[in-house]
Amino acid sequence: MSDTYKKGLTRRQFLQFSGIAAAATLGGPRILHALVPSSGMAIQNQVVSLSSICDMCLNKCGLIARVEKGVVKKLDPHPKFLKSRGMLCAKGNAGIKQLYDPDRLKYPLLRKGGRGEGRWQRLSWPQALDLAAEKLKIIGEKYTRCGVLFMAGSDVQSSFVNRFASVFGSYNTVSHESNCLVSRNRAYLDTFGEMPIPDTLNSKYILIAGANVFEALITPDSIDMMTAKQKGCKLVVLDPRFTKTAALANEWQAIKPGTDMAFFLAVTNVLIEEKRYDEQFVQEKTYGLEQLREHVKKYTPEWAEKECEIPAQDIRRIARELSAAAPAAMIYPGRRTSDYEDSTQIRRSMAIVNALLGNWDRPGGLTAAREIKVKAKPFDPPFYEDNPEERVDAGRSLMMFEEEGSFKHARDAVIEGKPYPVKGFFTYKVNPMATGANRRKTIEMIQKLDFMITVDIAMSDTAWMADLVLPAPSYLERMDPVTALQGSSACGCIITRDPVVPALFESKPVFWIVSELAHRLKLGQFFNFTMEEYRQEQLKDWPEAKKDLKKDSFHFKHSRIYGVYEGKIYKTLSKKIELYNQRYAEKKADPLPVYRPPQNVPQGKFRLVVGRNAYITQGSSTNNALLSELVPENEVWVHPKPARSLGITSGELVEVSSPVGKGRLKARVTAEIRPDTVYMDSGFGMLSKGLSRVYQKGASIVEILEDHNDTISGNMAMHETFVMVRKVH
Amino acid sequence: MKKIIPVFTIFILFIASLGLSPAQESGNARKGKFLFRKNCRTCHVAGGSAKELGPNSKTQAQWDEVFKNIDKLKCRDQWVTLSDKDKLDMYAQLWGHAFDSPSPEKCE
Amino acid sequence: MIDISRKQFVLVIDSQKCFDCKACMIACKVENNVPHGFWRNWVRPTEAKGRRVQFQPGQCMQCEAPACVAACPVRATFKRSDGMVVIDPKKCIGCGNCVTGCPYGARFRNPETKLAEKCNYCEHRLLRGEEPACVTTCPTKARVFGDLNDPESKISTLIKKGRLVQVANRKINTKPRIYYTTGTIQLDWPKEPTLPGNVRLPESFWKP
Repeated sequence: MSDTYKKGLTRRQFLQFSGIAAAATLGGPRILHALVPSSGMAIQNQVVSLSSICDMCLNKCGLIARVEKGVVKKLDPHPKFLKSRGMLCAKGNAGIKQLYDPDRLKYPLLRKGGRGEGRWQRLSWPQALDLAAEKLKIIGEKYTRCGVLFMAGSDVQSSFVNRFASVFGSYNTVSHESNCLVSRNRAYLDTFGEMPIPDTLNSKYILIAGANVFEALITPDSIDMMTAKQKGCKLVVLDPRFTKTAALANEWQAIKPGTDMAFFLAVTNVLIEEKRYDEQFVQEKTYGLEQLREHVKKYTPEWAEKECEIPAQDIRRIARELSAAAPAAMIYPGRRTSDYEDSTQIRRSMAIVNALLGNWDRPGGLTAAREIKVKAKPFDPPFYEDNPEERVDAGRSLMMFEEEGSFKHARDAVIEGKPYPVKGFFTYKVNPMATGANRRKTIEMIQKLDFMITVDIAMSDTAWMADLVLPAPSYLERMDPVTALQGSSACGCIITRDPVVPALFESKPVFWIVSELAHRLKLGQFFNFTMEEYRQEQLKDWPEAKKDLKKDSFHFKHSRIYGVYEGKIYKTLSKKIELYNQRYAEKKADPLPVYRPPQNVPQGKFRLVVGRNAYITQGSSTNNALLSELVPENEVWVHPKPARSLGITSGELVEVSSPVGKGRLKARVTAEIRPDTVYMDSGFGMLSKGLSRVYQKGASIVEILEDHNDTISGNMAMHETFVMVRKVH
Repeated sequence: MKKIIPVFTIFILFIASLGLSPAQESGNARKGKFLFRKNCRTCHVAGGSAKELGPNSKTQAQWDEVFKNIDKLKCRDQWVTLSDKDKLDMYAQLWGHAFDSPSPEKCE
Repeated sequence: MIDISRKQFVLVIDSQKCFDCKACMIACKVENNVPHGFWRNWVRPTEAKGRRVQFQPGQCMQCEAPACVAACPVRATFKRSDGMVVIDPKKCIGCGNCVTGCPYGARFRNPETKLAEKCNYCEHRLLRGEEPACVTTCPTKARVFGDLNDPESKISTLIKKGRLVQVANRKINTKPRIYYTTGTIQLDWPKEPTLPGNVRLPESFWKP
């Protein structure tokens, strides 16, 4: 009963199979949102429109699926879903090819050869679950239960993986976020006491540093930013690359990479020296103005000009413009802030400008998170006395988020076996092999493991390295719990999903998988409910939402947007917005952001910056049949000047190399990047042969990037690598 | 599950060699979380006989006050059963995840 | 089914609202089963100083003086009363003359059906009372679609307001019926139409 992965279904077989599956489950008039299709006579030509929530990226946009004879034909935006302003992007439209993809995982697979060799044996679900439970038990007994590391991506069922980890007894749970944005969250939490939500729609002046909202789409911010611009809002972009955000902004400054803090300290200097900050707001609501005033005296625009290569007069002008537009202005709290070793401090310098201008809790600025409570089914996990006291990645960064962890630190800890051995790894819908800088170290980490289980939809690079691969259904085939969503002024809402079509192949949701494992490990009492029951309990406090959820898959709750903090204290040590952070001082970190210039780019090298375009979600959608037609491979962007001296022209194959790795891909010679910087898209150069369209296409960023980290949050720092680029002859 | 004594001992040596912060040396927050749930959440829960309570219900200063004045609490009799180590563990959890801590935590 | 025979369909595109997310392209591809390697619509960048500065969505221009219609030897493609240029698949012989004849590259020969194909404003959706897929899915609603015969429609208001331009091919004037908002940069259409030798177009067709 064994076969290699390559011997999986052919395309023709796949189509036959899915056709059969669809026909077999067609059974009668499908009741909207029924989990199990009702049985009966098949009705031909039946066309239904079913609502759901997109899952092609993290945004979760409302959609309507047109289902004909049990087959999804088209996904359209849900016009009433406010958070996405009634749209569906290219990825959302391509979701249909995540569902109907011959590359999908179809049944449980057990590794037969070496890790990453791609030889698999098909298992039945009972075999797979028995094996997984047995391995978890053995590792738990041998190394304590913290010897299993859990990593679940941003998915609405990830909470069940963490619940399982918690009752199993491991507090080593790492999210994807330390490869993404925890430094930003850290910075805002340590300034405002919470992570604010930008009110882009009503803003008059938006300064974006490094974020790329028109390509790395965030709903509703990306759309609102365009609407705001049409209404006269000024967009200013600081970026070493001429992104589409820069292209459509009113002003682009090609800032020298790694010097953003200098820019914002100089802006602070202008605001304070020229008394252009909101005096009343600062006096009433912030802590540490005097220290800040003293601190930024030396950070003049003239000084910053030498660091950022942005003219002093422009810095001064931008500071004044910001001040004139405040409080309907903002330094946009963008995502993917995993860039430098002082990322948290860089984002603090931006948060401080927002605080000085009083861009807070008022229209057009940053707003406080709304209270939208959806309860999880409560449980009291047991305590295992033999467990170590701390997480395996503890103590490696000053203020790591306990609930997010740090992939970089956890990986180092597993490789070192310190402070204690971790020999099990459970991943769900997360792809550290494609997102964690320095892939060789991720492989080294995985080679240290006794057993690795991966639950995913397709054979991602991470699944490719696993011992046991379990197939999960796509979002269109799943029943999900109720989840709260936030995003800008219009929308606090709760969402849920019901299957639009029944799950294909033998795919099973991770909720079912961990629940089965729990029962096998005598932890069944913590998973003694169905998804339906779980959801019913969640909705006890939301009687008014049930009808909407059934019809639309979402329910909006209108709540106060501005003035939320009137008369309230902030969740900081001083109970105010902290310009000066006392806790940083206690922990021997800089209580005010201190600028340390980035290392200069060595002669003959470039700084590598990474990102994505609007057609991919990092490593998860580059293999999509529709999206790969838009972007079949990535390219390295090189400025014409260095390209000339290297003898490189557009479309030519080049090698990009760093001390840790290298990759070959085509060059794109373009004036859309600084001469000292090169750029690559994430999500290519895959190792997995299970990703047929993107296997060996382009080069992988994580193969080339060194693994530095933000010293405060433990976030990966992905813009600290210098690379050589050479023509391949 | 059986206790794995040798591994545990080795682990303590690791901890000693790491030089962790004083809070971690004085109390085990994870144990504290468990103890808090076991001992306090029976009453301090939504719809319970006492006010719903979690680490983020109070500031660090307020938790200091609570632990300094255990004998003044209405439920002081319940605390008799707890050892000093138990109290330290609970303090580590509640103080460490208080409203104004770097990582405020609800008790779900 | 909705009666569309008395309507006058027009599309207005605000290219300054487009951030090149290409949702329209994928939506169209799925909705119309467009084969791999072909597109019925597009987003084309316009450059200044070697940098992309504007993104211009487009599709079949539904021209008033369509070169494709002139190029078709069997009258399979023709101008309909509702303003659309359509292809009758029953008549099309797949000769490809219209494909090379279109100055905007809006047509292709479907390798499976072997017939000419292009944007038809998702006619099957119009009949269901829906908008074309590209219009519905657009994040910033850069495409506005509607019936010019309905004076209350958004499209009528836009057309009345004026300030619209056509982005025709520099070489010929087919009188496109897709309008762009002012501020749209003139694209340099790379395609110069080639028409069969026996096709004669009036002098006014060719721009001086």
